[in-house]
Amino acid sequence: MSYKKKSTRTIKPGRKREKWTDIFPRYLTFITHMRPILRETRRIIIDLDPDLLLDTEILDKIRQEEEKRNIRKVRALSEFSAMYRSNVYEIIKDFIIKYREKIPIIDIKDYIIEFLHESVDTLNVLRHITNPDELNLENTYLYQLVKYIEQKIFPRGANLKIIYEKLLENSPNFYECQRHILQSHTYYREKLESPDFFEIPVMSPKVYQIINNMTSLYNLDPNFGEFPEKENYEIPMILKNDVFLPYIESIANAEEEAIEKVAERIGLRLIDGIFLAPQEDFVEILLDNNYLREIKQSDGTMRLLPQFSNETLIIYYLAFASQRRGFLSKELVNWISMNFAFLIYMGILKWKLSDENIFYAIFKDLQTNEKILPYLMKLICFPNYIGIDKMKIRDSIQYRKEIFNFIGSQIDNLKEFIDDIATFCTKFENNE
Amino acid sequence: MAELQDTTWKMLLNDFENGLEKAIEELQKRDVENIPGAKEALIQRLNNMRLHFPQNNGDIFLKSINEKIQNAFFPNTKNFSEAFEKILKSRTHEQDFIINELLNGFVTSKAKAIASGTQGPIIDRMVEAFSKRNDFHIVDHQFFAMFGDPNKPRHYIKKQLEELVSMFGLISKELLIEKDIRRSEEKLYTFYTFPDDIIKILEEKYLIIDDDLGYAYVSEEFDRNVFICMFLANVAIHRDDLDKIGDSFTINGISAIFALILLLSFMPKLSIDETNPLLNDPTFNTENMSVIPKSWMIKQVLEPLFEPLIKITAYRVGGGLWLSKIVDSEINKKIHNQIRFLLKDVNKWILGNLCRVEIPIFVEISNIFTEILVGYEEE
Repeated sequence: MSYKKKSTRTIKPGRKREKWTDIFPRYLTFITHMRPILRETRRIIIDLDPDLLLDTEILDKIRQEEEKRNIRKVRALSEFSAMYRSNVYEIIKDFIIKYREKIPIIDIKDYIIEFLHESVDTLNVLRHITNPDELNLENTYLYQLVKYIEQKIFPRGANLKIIYEKLLENSPNFYECQRHILQSHTYYREKLESPDFFEIPVMSPKVYQIINNMTSLYNLDPNFGEFPEKENYEIPMILKNDVFLPYIESIANAEEEAIEKVAERIGLRLIDGIFLAPQEDFVEILLDNNYLREIKQSDGTMRLLPQFSNETLIIYYLAFASQRRGFLSKELVNWISMNFAFLIYMGILKWKLSDENIFYAIFKDLQTNEKILPYLMKLICFPNYIGIDKMKIRDSIQYRKEIFNFIGSQIDNLKEFIDDIATFCTKFENNE
Repeated sequence: MAELQDTTWKMLLNDFENGLEKAIEELQKRDVENIPGAKEALIQRLNNMRLHFPQNNGDIFLKSINEKIQNAFFPNTKNFSEAFEKILKSRTHEQDFIINELLNGFVTSKAKAIASGTQGPIIDRMVEAFSKRNDFHIVDHQFFAMFGDPNKPRHYIKKQLEELVSMFGLISKELLIEKDIRRSEEKLYTFYTFPDDIIKILEEKYLIIDDDLGYAYVSEEFDRNVFICMFLANVAIHRDDLDKIGDSFTINGISAIFALILLLSFMPKLSIDETNPLLNDPTFNTENMSVIPKSWMIKQVLEPLFEPLIKITAYRVGGGLWLSKIVDSEINKKIHNQIRFLLKDVNKWILGNLCRVEIPIFVEISNIFTEILVGYEEE
């Protein structure tokens, strides 16, 4: 007979914490431990005679003393605090060693205090990014920032056409970001056709290439066929085989087999099993945006001549994903929320920290990122924000490392967007 | 030998001339252009090319490939650091854009065979790996963590790492630890970094070496193009040693990529009507973009042009050895079809018009053609 206590849990571990009131404190946990360390350090530096800073051993001793005062009971937290404090002191020491010959020590001290001040300020914003009860929601940084980013790269709308128009409006400035949030680097974990009929996967590099090929073929060499829903109209069609012709040795077999699903995500459909043509609703969008031009034929039929841009089909994919945001695949949910979290986090850093701040590196460190961003990702998923399925966010540390590894490999357009967000933060603060 | 070379070169020029004739023939049959006069402009340009390219022993090719492409991408030297420095110095933001797009497509397709499951970001990951440390080294287990597939045995990834290292021309250093902290066993770590000469070149802009603290870390400028320059330099100095640069796969790929650059540079700019909606499109920039004909992209026109052009590029860059590796099989023809759409951001579609972003390499090659053309007309 076993005396082992039977678990009363009926749900999978990790799936329980789903309420705002559960996630928000977790988000705050590490931030509330970082801030006092920086504040204590700032107080110590302020009180310290500048000449004593020249002797870096004194800083080591101070740090050791500070560590003795550590009374945290939770091992993970005390380990993190020790690591964090030691990083802060190491950076200060390096800064002193590097500049002590070049800059008067009193100025070095002032710089350090200023950098610490900025860092505390940053953590303060991160700490008050929202509140436990979501009170006065519209005046919180989190809400404002999510909505600001959302309207530019993942807007909501009553129908697909409205979403498409909103995306197109922002594409001259943010097209690369728009396409970036569809292209998770973990695409290889996904299948093009999921047993869940509605699920929308990420756009893999090969699918992206295939979509580009389709754009080129429409512009170059389209066939024309009867518009099934409208008499006397002809719509452009391309041969499925032409799209896949260059792919040798079955390298695009999976995409070819799933062509109907792939086509649906970019507003196309398969006609007679061989032609790819725009869907009825998409024809209307294309006409409105000058991507189709009407030409009257000598027999009286109206031919719709394609004149696509690079973004024509890609933006449809994004609009489609945005409209069906409840059906995004696990990879897409993780990728989109991670990018939102990253943009918000980096935007706040850019706004609060000067470029030369020596503690920037700590904020951007993977160890700090993984303590803040996963919870921020979950908060962002709530219905008041981007409203995607937060239960799909993976908690595995290995997975977080895998996706966070790409945070550094930024595209230029993402950097421009971060600057834009920082400017927005300043304006929002001034309005308040 | 010189006579033999001459015969080959003449034969290649002749093939290109025949290709142009075929392309013109095909062009006469169809019109896919939507800008009035575009087809005629292209036919005229191809006719001009047919008339002037073979003159003076293929002077235009010699200048375009030997002076522009070779200097910027495959300097004629056996010294790795010298080649690297030349390629690095020819970098401009716009130039990076195209090199990135073309070579990244190629390097990643090669790297795909190396690091399975990583089509896109392999170079980005390398950049990231170097950026994360403050000694400008990466260590083997870091690489395994980044690219390793837990479902596959470790020796696969070891072999793949070696191939990547040789593709970029990195060097390795070994460190033997007598007692590993975990198992108290002897352990050998392999570190990878850039050769010393290259580090000296990088020091100017891409790498910050802090002697006081003993750190070496990358600056904001350090990006994937540094690796692409390494890759090109490696190809440039080992162009006679095919095993070191990936044999026929690399040669066919690189020659096709630069043939595409040549072809794009030769395309005429079209003048467009001021009522054309393209001019009001926010993505069209009149200052650095021009509209070019799109008919050259049709399969029937591209095929006769592309094949001889790939051979010409291969011959000029790597001589008879490279030429012998260009395989004009049916499979390669299919791949060429794919390459025509490889450029997306510098050869972009805007409202059905093909727009070329006027980056330096296009402008320089195009200028050679115009200068020579004007010279002939004056004569």
